[in-house]
Amino acid sequence: MEDAFPAFVLHSEAIRPLMNEMPRYPEADSSEAAESDEELMAAFSHGAAEAFSTLFLRYKQPLFGFFRRRVADPAQAEELTQETFIAVLRAAARYQQTALFRTWLYAIGFKILRAHRRKAAFRATFLGEKPAGFEPATQSTLEAQVLMRNAVWKLDPLDREVLLLREFEQLSYAEIAELLSLPLNTVRSRLFRARLALHSLLAAPTPHSSAHESAQFKERL
Amino acid sequence: MNTAAHPVAPEEVMAFLDGELMSAEAQAVSIHLDQCAECAGLAAQFRSTSHSLSDWTVPPVSSSLFESVEELSAKAAASLELAKPGRTVQLSFWNWRMWAVGAGGMATALLILVAHFVTRSNVLNHRESVLSMAQMSAPRERDQLMNSLSPAPSSSTVEEKNQMAMSAGALISPARAQAGKSFGVAHAGGGGGAPAEALAAPGSMIARTVSLSIAVKDFAAARASLDSILLRHRGYAAQLSATTQENAPRTLQASLRIPAPELAAALAELKALGRVESETQSGDEVTQQHTDLAARIQNSRETEERMRAILEQRTGKIEDVLQVEEEIARVRGEIESMEAEQQALEHRVDFATVDLQLAEEYKAALNPPSASVSNRIHNAFVAGLRSAAETLLGLVLFVEESGPVLLIWLAILGVPVFFSWRRYRRMKGRL
Repeated sequence: MEDAFPAFVLHSEAIRPLMNEMPRYPEADSSEAAESDEELMAAFSHGAAEAFSTLFLRYKQPLFGFFRRRVADPAQAEELTQETFIAVLRAAARYQQTALFRTWLYAIGFKILRAHRRKAAFRATFLGEKPAGFEPATQSTLEAQVLMRNAVWKLDPLDREVLLLREFEQLSYAEIAELLSLPLNTVRSRLFRARLALHSLLAAPTPHSSAHESAQFKERL
Repeated sequence: MNTAAHPVAPEEVMAFLDGELMSAEAQAVSIHLDQCAECAGLAAQFRSTSHSLSDWTVPPVSSSLFESVEELSAKAAASLELAKPGRTVQLSFWNWRMWAVGAGGMATALLILVAHFVTRSNVLNHRESVLSMAQMSAPRERDQLMNSLSPAPSSSTVEEKNQMAMSAGALISPARAQAGKSFGVAHAGGGGGAPAEALAAPGSMIARTVSLSIAVKDFAAARASLDSILLRHRGYAAQLSATTQENAPRTLQASLRIPAPELAAALAELKALGRVESETQSGDEVTQQHTDLAARIQNSRETEERMRAILEQRTGKIEDVLQVEEEIARVRGEIESMEAEQQALEHRVDFATVDLQLAEEYKAALNPPSASVSNRIHNAFVAGLRSAAETLLGLVLFVEESGPVLLIWLAILGVPVFFSWRRYRRMKGRL
């Protein structure tokens, strides 16, 4: 099973639907998919356990992907995914349909991720624990995949976050801006910069080439 | 970017591909992309990058996660316990830290309280032991010990000291019961003690000192009564100062000298002036000092007599005569000095010292005469400026005084903290 595809893969040609359109996931049942996330969440907050099961089926893989791309240890990513769902359960009564469930879910996930990073950085800095590194390319992790991951990790942290949220979590610019507490224009410019830099890194993965090509490209325009 | 050649910004091309443009803008960008190969190339590059990202797949999540969250959701839906915000159990880092800090704070406060009470009980025990020692020792030592007990005149300590002085007075009184008139025996304090003369020890000389603080209703009448009391008891004021401030009670401070035999009566009359707020009595036995002085005077007189006799009976060189006369003059000077000291000592014994403080029971006037509004505003402004200047000066002085030390501490503590923080930030960025 695969998690959410990158945005341009989903919306690949000229007539594009709005990016906030619900992404489709293989495991989601066709009858259940008819119900929106927000309706399911409202049903769950009124005691319908199966509603949460449906939401869980829809989002467990994307949410796991969200953590897996940001955390080196797969077990840690699973733990954080579970923690996020538990947080959703706890906060179900407070959920209001003013925001998309997807945005709300990723906001919770992002908070949990930040807390995890804080604690891990503290342990690594002051307690001498070695932070886990990403696994090298093996049979299970293709070389292209590892190259992509390494290229993305070379980006500026904030640019990388904007890029990942856009490409894999498929959040709109406005949702990313709200999640990262950034102005909308900053999100757009950072995303632009991240995409150019990533293109440069993928084309010629040397430390200086990306900036050089980016400058060349801008000059050409 | 050349906006003349490309009316569409590259970021707009990206936003168009992301579906983030309004329909009119999207249409404009779409038309431009059809016409401009360069921008179409940029769009293709974006699509290519995005497509490359699809290589970064994530393996499926394990089934154990599914089971555990499913179980949790079933429980939550059944009871809605977890869904109720007020009843959620949050075992977060901050929660236990908050409890730990709270418990630590409580423990510290408790420790401080216990330490305070233990210290206080130790001080009281010390006082009791000192008092018992004083009861067994000589009157003079007792007075010294009692004076060393409570240097700060707080209300409770003054009271304790007064009580101790009373008991000490009672203890020394028997010794003074048979005091000889030759020394002008001092007077015991008032305040309900037994008659001092009847209890004085033979030959004892005691210089009495009384401190009295009285609040009076009618200050002017009290002031007049004070004069008449001094006159009646043949006393005098060695020092007297009175202060009268606007919108404040009037006060008087005086150091009175009362003949020792008259002290009890004078004190009784002074106390009748108003409400006694505090009273302290002490006695300094100077018998030994006086006896020593008398003996030394006697010796010096005899020496003087002998030298005079030598001068009258013997004849010799003129130098020797002059030398003897010089010696007589020196001895004479010593005798006069000692006699003056003896007189002062006897005067201290003959005249008890009463340090009196009179304070008016102040009643604020309904319409106190006050400065004009403009003056008050001016004064307040000046006071404010002065206060601001003082604060600023205090700050500057603090920085000057403590700045170097603070800098040292900043260097000692700040540098490791800075490097740790930087390392932490870097680590967080890498995670």
